[in-house]
Amino acid sequence: MRKGGGMRRKVCFFILLFIALLYWAGGIRTPSWSSGPGGNPSLFPEISRWKRSGEIQIFFPRNLYNYIDGGAELYLKYDFQELEVAEYLNDKKASVTVEIYRHKTPTDAFGIYSQERLANAKYLAIGAQGYSEENILNFVLGNYYVKMNSFNTGPEDQEVLVIFAKRVAEKLGGNGSLPSIFSSFPKEGKKENSEKFIAKSFLGYSSLHSGFTADYELSGKKFQLFVIEGEDQNDCRNMIQEYLQRTGNLGKRIEEGHFTVKDPYQGEIDFCWKGKYIWGALNLDEPTIRAKYLKLFEEGLPERK
Amino acid sequence: MGKKLMGRRDFMKSSVAGLGSFVYLASNEKKQEKKQGERKFIYRTLGKTGIKVPVIGMGMIQPSNPALVRAALDAGINHFDTTAIPAVQENNLKMFAEVTKGRPRESFIIGVKVPSPTDPATGLYKEGVTTEAFLKKFDFSLKWLNMEYVDVLYHYAVSRKESAFYEPIMKAMEKAKKEGKTRFLGISAHMNVPEIVQIAADSNFYEVVIAAYNFKQKNYLQVREAIAKAASAGLGIVAIKAIRGGLKEGEKPINPRASLKWVLQDPNVHATIPAFDTFEDMIADLSVMDDLTLTDPEKEDLKRAASSAGLYCQGCGQCVKQCIAKLPIPDLMRAYMYTYGYRKPSIGRELVVSLGLPGHICEVCGPCPVQCLNGWNVSRKIRDIVRLRDVPSEFVV
Repeated sequence: MRKGGGMRRKVCFFILLFIALLYWAGGIRTPSWSSGPGGNPSLFPEISRWKRSGEIQIFFPRNLYNYIDGGAELYLKYDFQELEVAEYLNDKKASVTVEIYRHKTPTDAFGIYSQERLANAKYLAIGAQGYSEENILNFVLGNYYVKMNSFNTGPEDQEVLVIFAKRVAEKLGGNGSLPSIFSSFPKEGKKENSEKFIAKSFLGYSSLHSGFTADYELSGKKFQLFVIEGEDQNDCRNMIQEYLQRTGNLGKRIEEGHFTVKDPYQGEIDFCWKGKYIWGALNLDEPTIRAKYLKLFEEGLPERK
Repeated sequence: MGKKLMGRRDFMKSSVAGLGSFVYLASNEKKQEKKQGERKFIYRTLGKTGIKVPVIGMGMIQPSNPALVRAALDAGINHFDTTAIPAVQENNLKMFAEVTKGRPRESFIIGVKVPSPTDPATGLYKEGVTTEAFLKKFDFSLKWLNMEYVDVLYHYAVSRKESAFYEPIMKAMEKAKKEGKTRFLGISAHMNVPEIVQIAADSNFYEVVIAAYNFKQKNYLQVREAIAKAASAGLGIVAIKAIRGGLKEGEKPINPRASLKWVLQDPNVHATIPAFDTFEDMIADLSVMDDLTLTDPEKEDLKRAASSAGLYCQGCGQCVKQCIAKLPIPDLMRAYMYTYGYRKPSIGRELVVSLGLPGHICEVCGPCPVQCLNGWNVSRKIRDIVRLRDVPSEFVV
């Protein structure tokens, strides 16, 4: 009897030790009857007539390439934090793969979404925005970028994807919105759904940090407007200084106002600097239109300061 | 069989020796150097395809900056590769079409990859991947490029032998070539690289191989050996992940120039396609061609970077062949990583449970023959992580 009791004590000790180890690993869930905070609920909803297949796969910045080889770097530029992937199957051997990418900020999530969204796709009011094509539905919501791919879903493909998207969006919560700085962009001539956020090395220069762009077309002329939001005035000054050095435009006085720069790779660029904003036009060789748009842009910006 | 396996200590020795053994260029290399404007260019021939490419090409991962692609073309880069992420690829190819408008088609080489739905857990194609679906996607690529043909059509991200020889895809690729929509057929290997490169070499089907290859790979000697075989079989070899491969989160490459030089000192590598996204990086990458010889400080940088131990299973698969019980060791190492690295024991547990492992693990085989290239005590890690099976799921998140 004494021996059996000793064994039980040993077993209990090891169970407690193991639970302590798990606790250390951050994985003990507070029981549902506790008043403390609960753990993360699953991001993946139950969908009637569909069954989740296999384990949920999880990827982090250092192993994302295991999942999207050849494309992981682009996601990392947008401060990718974590990806969870689940696959659903139905009894007709159709499948839907749901990928939920979590980025550091909503702007980052929008940024990667903006890199991938397709101009001619069908746009949907899911999350902050979504779009679909055959076998694809992607949307952005807050810090999340959700990508869904279907396979063998037949003629009901789009309906199936929309059902999935709505349920996933419900699970994530909220609707989110596109970065508010886009409201500063002049409306005339702006192409719908052309807004982008470039997280790093804007215009191909590491010194220019990040930037927001939108495509325009006016009287057959295609051009782009952009805005860079610096940390403060000094940050903008440093960016401009380095940009002018890199492009061989030395000797220019760096003070708030208007700049016309010959960029060896992108031709003539007009841009303005005020406070923590630098905004400008690309591929716009018509001086009057250029001046008009830079002025319109400036009018949209002050209220943000 | 009978091949002696390399332990961690041997690897570290060979790693340093490997850096030394790569120091000098093949003697005939300099004769192939050409001038492109002011810049020195080194060209190599992409195996039996006969295509001559500069050793520095461009991997396009971001579609937003046509000026960068234009600058690369103007600088003399003529070899381009595109991403396979579906939506990015569409934007990417359309942008490339716009930039190359008006340039003679034969003045550049473009490679295109066609991804097919894969089971993320097994790496195998899903049931129902068809020749028609593959060709439909490829036709879209041509449409976005506004081109009649591409130079190399790649079978994308193959990690399993079964996938490399997946008949519907091979038929599709063959048809595309017959119809003149691609000049050559290729395969890209990111995981399980030595095996896939070897398969490509023996296939009598693939003509170009894209392979992850860098000095931080734990199994780079096997990769190098496979690449040598493939090159001698006449395949064109394009190395990827030369700069950023093996880096940890947020880690900056120690010396990108040295990393590129290291790869290019292997004469069996015909080209690299670094994914530069700034003009500064483009100029720096091109400058590698001024002299491929590693300087002493560059060698030191590489040795320093090579000696930092990897923390993550690279999925080389070596252990699976060695394990007597044929356990799915890479999956178990992944479960270990989820639990202890990322503090997500629920996912670790779910993975362990899903593997359907036998009751007794790493207890009855005797001395473990597995020699992990990371130097890990694999059996100890396995014994540790399989205990999660015994913890009720409600106790774990």
